[in-house]
Amino acid sequence: MLINIRKNLVKLIFNLCLIYSFIHFIFPSFALERNENWKDVLKKASGQTIYFHAWGGAKNINSYIKWAAGEVKKKYNITVKHVKVSDTANVVAKILSEKNVKKNNNGTVDLVWINGENFSLMKSNNLLLSEKWIFNLPNSKFLDFSNDPSLLNDFGIPTDGMEMPWGVSQLNFYYDTKYINSPPRSALELKNYIIKNKGRFTFPQPPDFVGTSFLKQILIELISDKKLLKLKYVTQQHERELDTLWQWLDEVTPHLWRRGKNYPSNYSAITELVAEREIDLGMAFNIAHASNSISEGKLSNSVRSYIHDKGTLANVHFVAIPYNSSNKAASKVFANFLISPEAQIKKQNKDFWGDPSVISINKLSQKWKNKFSTLPRGLATLTNEDLRMKLEEPHPSWVKVIEDKWIKKYGSSN
Amino acid sequence: MGTNFYGQLTKALVISIGTLVIIPIIFGFIGFFLPSFGYFPILGKSEFNLNYFHLSFNIAGISKSIILSLFTGLVSTLLALFFSQVILLYLFKTRAYNYIKIIISPLIALPHITMAIGLIFLFSPSGLFFRLISPWLTGFDRPPNIFIMPDEYGLFLILGLILKEIPFFILVSLSALQEFSAKKIFDLGKSLQNSNFSSWCILIFPLIYKKIRFVIFIVIAFTASVVDMSLILAPSTPSTLAIRILQTYQSSDADSLFIASNLALIQLFIIIILLLFWMVLEKIVSYKLSFIFFMKILSFKTFFIKKIVVLSSVILFFLSILGIVSSLIWGFSANWYFPNFFPKSLTLDVFTNFYNENKSIIFISIFISFIVSLISSLLTIIWVELIEILKIKKIYLEWIIFIPLFIPQISFLIGLQSFIIIFDFDSYLLPLIIIQLFYVIPYSFIILAPSLREIKKEIIIVATSLGKNRLQRLLSIKIPIVMSSLLTSFAIGMLVSFSLYTPVYFFGGGRITTLTVEALNLALSGSRQDLGVATFFQIIIPILILITVAYLSKKICKWRF
Repeated sequence: MLINIRKNLVKLIFNLCLIYSFIHFIFPSFALERNENWKDVLKKASGQTIYFHAWGGAKNINSYIKWAAGEVKKKYNITVKHVKVSDTANVVAKILSEKNVKKNNNGTVDLVWINGENFSLMKSNNLLLSEKWIFNLPNSKFLDFSNDPSLLNDFGIPTDGMEMPWGVSQLNFYYDTKYINSPPRSALELKNYIIKNKGRFTFPQPPDFVGTSFLKQILIELISDKKLLKLKYVTQQHERELDTLWQWLDEVTPHLWRRGKNYPSNYSAITELVAEREIDLGMAFNIAHASNSISEGKLSNSVRSYIHDKGTLANVHFVAIPYNSSNKAASKVFANFLISPEAQIKKQNKDFWGDPSVISINKLSQKWKNKFSTLPRGLATLTNEDLRMKLEEPHPSWVKVIEDKWIKKYGSSN
Repeated sequence: MGTNFYGQLTKALVISIGTLVIIPIIFGFIGFFLPSFGYFPILGKSEFNLNYFHLSFNIAGISKSIILSLFTGLVSTLLALFFSQVILLYLFKTRAYNYIKIIISPLIALPHITMAIGLIFLFSPSGLFFRLISPWLTGFDRPPNIFIMPDEYGLFLILGLILKEIPFFILVSLSALQEFSAKKIFDLGKSLQNSNFSSWCILIFPLIYKKIRFVIFIVIAFTASVVDMSLILAPSTPSTLAIRILQTYQSSDADSLFIASNLALIQLFIIIILLLFWMVLEKIVSYKLSFIFFMKILSFKTFFIKKIVVLSSVILFFLSILGIVSSLIWGFSANWYFPNFFPKSLTLDVFTNFYNENKSIIFISIFISFIVSLISSLLTIIWVELIEILKIKKIYLEWIIFIPLFIPQISFLIGLQSFIIIFDFDSYLLPLIIIQLFYVIPYSFIILAPSLREIKKEIIIVATSLGKNRLQRLLSIKIPIVMSSLLTSFAIGMLVSFSLYTPVYFFGGGRITTLTVEALNLALSGSRQDLGVATFFQIIIPILILITVAYLSKKICKWRF
């Protein structure tokens, strides 16, 4: 009995230590000190200009960023310039080349919208501001880091506080109910659909983000052992595992839109094609994309979203500060604003962007709780219940392989 | 002593301006030449090897990209030249001949991508042509599953290119025609019982050709390496070499800079091969026997050829106009779904929204082209003046300024990028303006320098005897004399700068975008309505520039000389 008590006590102390170190790990400095520092940060940031490199292919997202920039200008006297990027890999390449020529202080990129393989590449090349800066942002208290591991892991890679969660995405498809009764809800059904409806399906040309994600989705659905995707890709061991994907594509590609000889450049272009009825099914990573396009008048209001029965890829997207950013303080202030309830509710609003919030409702004040719970969901946006089947991202090392192989097999052979 | 000092100063100025212009051009070349062999000391690589050629040729589908670039470059130049001559020939003896310049000037003024965008609006399965015949003829109530463009052989790229190059060739041919008594020669040919067609081919064309040969070479170099039009009209699996270079350069692979440089060198080889091939063609065509052979073909069935050629010229002309018109309609349309031929309603909302969102881009585009063109014209005047002071008859190195037009844009820019890195500019505007200058100076120079140099010596001598010093002579005598050339050069400079895509994309670093870059982004992913509005500005701004300059030159030049 005594031994038991002692055992429990040891356990308790051990647990306390663990919790303490965990808290310490996440919140390295105490609240008071944090606020002190924050004042300095604000002071430093005032009057500065930052360049936010973010994918710029969607009008609603661009408008949202413009709004956020206007707000931080008013509140903190910071000028945010949105550098519209077509492929985030190019931004990584730019920072990498700056590092190569030893431009270590006044880099051109101050803040970048990023996740997945680009993050992993930046992390492994030491291109990111470390110092766990995200935990020092006052608004990080609204994020439930301890219960939601996806906020600190990006495609399975620990973020180590180097990137701030900004929003949540899940791959989803949409179709016009006026013309289609039940859309295909699995990779196999989709294959049959494509073969039956020649020329009425396509995806953005990889290495576009959504295009590559679509390939990953198919791979996850087809691969015999999903656990393999959690591992780092090793050619000798895993090359054969991709065969199911290539087989699927071999069967499908000749029946794609424009016989698979041309692809739209991104998901905005897909929306146009669905609107014009050149193709039947659209896809997006933003769960409110269809609703959003309906309110913009781009899609007909009979359009609805759906996901595959086995679930679809879901991930968190982040903002990160490059190690050589010229204005780190202002970048932090802007990142902090982006995760404020005010910015997140606007982002979740389908009339602006429709991207689900990353902050935890439980951590908000009653006022904000009410606001969030009364926010209307879009006409074509799936409910959380509909979206509960989520697939985890494969290890980032798979992405490059899939992209390169796809380009080799389908992207350069015509 | 005084004169000697000023002489030294002028000499120093000439040398420094010369080097300031020449050094970046040289760097633009060696900046991709050396890295393509693996040499780039800033990155700690200082050993030459041929490894990157190996890597380049191992890129999936690269040979197809190379063939595509060769094919589109050659065919589009040949066709554009052919059609330009045919159109001139048939209009030569008509009244329309006097108006050609007015008709084609706006077409020349438009950026290349405007023409490409027009083609999308016409030929895509949901474009105007299918709307025209649907559903009453085709039964299509939705865009057909037909694969038209961009086609795998690059035919649409060729179409887009010739729509732009035909007016250009016509314009340069027109000015060539003014330099000899074309009408007399033509009549002579007719009196020898040649047809219109053959008298043009035998007598006039060789004379024109001699004058525009240089321009043809520039067009070959341009069309075989065009970036902006390829992005819209070329196939994407794979695309032309120029696009592959861009993609490689931007990828985050460790060796991307070296491979891209190597591809840039290959792109240069492509241009050289095309130019050599063209010269062989010249030899074959001008060879006596083959000349007779061509003549036989031409006199045989000329009627049939004439019909087809005239018809296709007319079609080409209407294609360019229709493309522009349909882009404009799209900019002001609402609820325009397939298969409606015309939008259900028109709206200004898209226009005003676009304008509010992109005001700054529109103004910066105009600002940059204004500044670039201004500097370029000034530099030309200063240069010519300095050379005159030094009493140098001919500068053999002047042709160097034309090099940027012969080196593929993408290659030259990669080279310059490596050069610019060294300076670590804080601003993006300054390098962008400097780089644009290299593309604008050749045009300013070719228009302005001859007229400055042709000013009669007597006028200057009289002015000097009236006690005017050099500056006064320049400002109150010379510039008024060449005012109309100056204005033309200024307008052309602005138009060239305004339509540049690749330099802005490269050196604007995303921080500075111009309307041309924005329009291209919209063409790839944006809504058609926004694209329509962007195209509207792409059309209206060049035309306004032309009109302003025409007005100014009428007003200023009327009462001078």
